[in-house]
Amino acid sequence: MRPLDIEPDAPATGETSWFCCGAAWGPCGSTGHGACGTCNSGSRQCAWPNTSDACFAITRPDRCGEDLLRRTCGHTFFVRNLCRTTEIAVKIADCGPQTDLWCGERSCCGGSCATNRIFDLTPSAFSAIGNLSSGIIPMAVHS
Amino acid sequence: MLDSLDRRRFLTSAVLGTATTVVTATAVGAVSPEVAMAQPAFDVEPGGIDPNFAEGRITGIKSGVLMVTGSDNTLHQIYLTSGTSVWKLRPTTMDAAQVGDGLYARGVRMPDGVLAADAVWLNIVNLQVHITSIGKDVLHLDHNGERIVGHVVGGTTAAVYNGTPAVSDLGLLKVGQHAQVLGAWIPDTNEVEIATVFAAA
Repeated sequence: MRPLDIEPDAPATGETSWFCCGAAWGPCGSTGHGACGTCNSGSRQCAWPNTSDACFAITRPDRCGEDLLRRTCGHTFFVRNLCRTTEIAVKIADCGPQTDLWCGERSCCGGSCATNRIFDLTPSAFSAIGNLSSGIIPMAVHS
Repeated sequence: MLDSLDRRRFLTSAVLGTATTVVTATAVGAVSPEVAMAQPAFDVEPGGIDPNFAEGRITGIKSGVLMVTGSDNTLHQIYLTSGTSVWKLRPTTMDAAQVGDGLYARGVRMPDGVLAADAVWLNIVNLQVHITSIGKDVLHLDHNGERIVGHVVGGTTAAVYNGTPAVSDLGLLKVGQHAQVLGAWIPDTNEVEIATVFAAA
């Protein structure tokens, strides 16, 4: 599988969900500012499964056949919902998702599908390209 | 039918303009958040605070405006119209909003600081959990070491196994299994009503 990094014009596809971080209400209230110490639900940020050796040891995208390059805190990705044309820019603020818990999971919209959870977005970022109540969307991402 | 940008202009006018304009915006009707959110790209600096987004808890409701205190103590005024998409466990109307509810909102930030909302999600949570036990109409969950009680709501709760279409049958869920629970928090408790549980089959 081609490493996801990548050439600017070569987006890879996968699934993304959303997660809360920073100051929050309800069950999110105990969540901190993420592995990078900068994460906030209201900011255009993301989590990436390979931000460090320690991160990778938890998320293990390789177990799903995903060869994700090391990208560290503050790296910018460009992401869009496979069913939309709008692309947003987000910065890495946390480690995640735990890709190996969801190997083979597939999301589709229209006739477009993507497999494996390789990305997570803050509510601000996710809601800019999708509906929070959908929980998961297929997306394309590139650096 | 109005495209999303036209709709945004209507919502903006609804906040800034006359009662007649508000009626016009209302007449447009609700659209899905996905459509409402179709925006020009790169409207916000990567990593930056999104001015067109708000989170927090409702502290007051007056004439279609939600007074919200952000978790970082930022104060927001969120303007709703009947065209605003509202979710509270399921798609609903602005009447469902109550003082004490948590929310996320997306819309257009007006010059006076009011957020004209295209979409509001009330009490929505999206939790990575382990299922610790399964009872009648309830899932007991572990979320980062904290116990969460997940209530199954007849006619609403659905399961998605490995990305297959949602079904009402939760029979494939297992104790000890990892899952993702999308639902509505019951304010000031450790309980949620489950909209969708995502799990491996």
